[in-house]
Amino acid sequence: MKTVISWAYGLGHGGPCLSFPIASITIILQAPNPMEDKPLVVLVNQHPAGGEIPATMAVQVDEKELKAAGVEVLSDGRRGLRVRGWEIESSNRSILNSRELQLWEEKLQTSHLPEMIFGNSSLTLKHVATGVKIHFNAFDALTGWKREALPPVEVPAAAKWKFRSKPFQEVILDYDYTFTTPYCGSEMVETNNEQVAVDYIDGLRWEDCEEKIDVVALASKEPILFYDEVVLYEDELADNGVSLLTVKVRVMPSGWFLLLRFWLRVDGVLMRLRDTRMHCIFSEHAFPVILRESCWRECTFNALAAVNLSPPCSPQLPHPQQKKKNKQEKRVAYKGYQVDAAAYNDPSALSQRLPIIMHKTQKLKLNGSE
Amino acid sequence: MSDLDRQIEQLKRCEPLKESEVKALCFKAMEILVEESNVQRVDAPVTICGDIHGQFYDMKELFRVGGDCPKTNYLFLGDFVDRGFYSVETFLLLLALKVYGFYDECLRKYGSVNVWRYCTDIFDYLRNVLTSSLYDPHCQTEQSVYCNPDRKLLSDSLSALIENKIFGVHGGLSPAITSLDQVSSIYLLDFYIPWFISPDPAKAGPTLGGVVVVVVVVFLGSHAEYWVAILPFCQIRTIDRKQEVPHDGAMCDLLWSDPEDAVDGWGLSPRGAGFLFGGSVVTSFNHTNNLDYICRAHQLVMEGFKWMFDDQIVTVWSAPNYCYRCGNVAAILELDENLNKEFRVFHAAPQVNEPSSFSLSLFAAKVYDI
Repeated sequence: MKTVISWAYGLGHGGPCLSFPIASITIILQAPNPMEDKPLVVLVNQHPAGGEIPATMAVQVDEKELKAAGVEVLSDGRRGLRVRGWEIESSNRSILNSRELQLWEEKLQTSHLPEMIFGNSSLTLKHVATGVKIHFNAFDALTGWKREALPPVEVPAAAKWKFRSKPFQEVILDYDYTFTTPYCGSEMVETNNEQVAVDYIDGLRWEDCEEKIDVVALASKEPILFYDEVVLYEDELADNGVSLLTVKVRVMPSGWFLLLRFWLRVDGVLMRLRDTRMHCIFSEHAFPVILRESCWRECTFNALAAVNLSPPCSPQLPHPQQKKKNKQEKRVAYKGYQVDAAAYNDPSALSQRLPIIMHKTQKLKLNGSE
Repeated sequence: MSDLDRQIEQLKRCEPLKESEVKALCFKAMEILVEESNVQRVDAPVTICGDIHGQFYDMKELFRVGGDCPKTNYLFLGDFVDRGFYSVETFLLLLALKVYGFYDECLRKYGSVNVWRYCTDIFDYLRNVLTSSLYDPHCQTEQSVYCNPDRKLLSDSLSALIENKIFGVHGGLSPAITSLDQVSSIYLLDFYIPWFISPDPAKAGPTLGGVVVVVVVVFLGSHAEYWVAILPFCQIRTIDRKQEVPHDGAMCDLLWSDPEDAVDGWGLSPRGAGFLFGGSVVTSFNHTNNLDYICRAHQLVMEGFKWMFDDQIVTVWSAPNYCYRCGNVAAILELDENLNKEFRVFHAAPQVNEPSSFSLSLFAAKVYDI
């Protein structure tokens, strides 16, 4: 099933035609004024019945737009494109099978991994001339999880469990089941390309900088040449919430922008959002200019309830049933914390309400360079 | 009866029923379940299925692979709903088939479908709970059952014993239960009392919807015994999904515990709630109860089924391409009259048809959140 979404910035502005391979989707975008931080509302008209679902929204852009931007679309079933000296490729594969899983357990020296590991999925952005490669994969992320090794978070039910009679010889496991990771992407210089200058093989580092990601530039009316989302791993915490690591990318004629997001919600206990954004403005510099912004937010349900005077705004749909629902929506006090359950599902709607615990912007540098 | 036949046909096409029909169907199912016992004895041949998770078209694929329902006996180990796009349709079809099996049995044994039809105080109570929870009093339109995308349903079976040789359960074992005789008595305490008599619907409020109705998990084909099952049927949102289930006690263990390679005896999850059990626990349970093996569901397996602990326990998973993106295959376990077993592995159904109106969902994005 092939479908078309129209992508329009505000009323009357035509945009590129995006084609979603699977679901029929209408996108209604409000003017993306970053100062007001208005949501872009995406209304999914139709779900596919069974079969594949766009875990990612693969976008096929109007060919004219691609041509105008000098894009070369990757062939041989690969998903991605070449543009302005960059090769950008995403792949969405199945979860690891039992054999692979066992291998990962050995390599990572653990017997506990997320329920769904998309271990063969990845996003890669490669600067062809320098061999600089930014990539995202579940293995490196889980290596980070293993290294950080946070202490486990108890779920609300644990309080009751303390009073249960203990079985004979009980082992208490203490790994971080939330799979929280400090991962903010992997980078390397790929040297197998003969064209890569020897200067670059020294390695890369991220250096703190004063510059900020240019949000205004990101909001400008530009065609989207490529968009994809890659889920790296996901766990439902045995129905106690969600732990999800995904990376989304969009490529415009002016540059690329990506968001790697770790989202954790332990129901009734804690929310944790670790966002890494990278922005690269295409330039004629030999070495690419890439800014990386990390922003970690975290809040307990209790703390949020204490300051939570109104529920987080969820996107308003121009749909009668939805309006009706909103009108009826009631907040419920449950076991001491305030719950407007639906609002806790969407990290984008929530993020502004979660206090920042770490924020920094860095720039990619070549070792040995200034 | 012709009504029921028509409803089943309609549900098989994934077409929603009228609210009044849903109500009637639930009432019929409740009448059946009030009469049923806790541990059901099941005769072979039977086909055992794992989690379905609202993947309606994949369940139809399951019936295509395993044989049509009235001709084949099925035992479903729970988790029919949630995650997939067709929880309501999936659940209602199973419900209708269960009721169909019941009517068929009444007719065959007693010559009348009204034999077990009576009202007791407890039944009236259940009727009240059903009315207040399944149907939001603020939203009395016929559409209301189907249109709420936030509606989450929860389901799980308890257990079944097949030819006294195979123990079927959703999650696993409990340290509180060493013999199957204990299962019956503990269920009575854990399940019937807290669930049907003591819960206070007023506390939960109209949107959280009281607690529960009991309904079917397992249904029967055209003959004889049907199996028990008890299904908490709640109108609750994601975050509260588990709140209605008892957080501790034997029932909770049977529903949620997992086998675990890393421990030998019992393990406590790092969440502070939830048991894991090792090989020696299974060996001793099977020995005590003279069982061949345990058949359970609850955990995603890429290959559809997985044996553990020297073939003493098997996990069966029946939701192919889980969440429409995991790429896993699914399996069902067919047992013939001599308990010879054959796993049938199947893939996700091809995409079909129009989705029904209630699967409308939405999401939002921001410039900075891509």
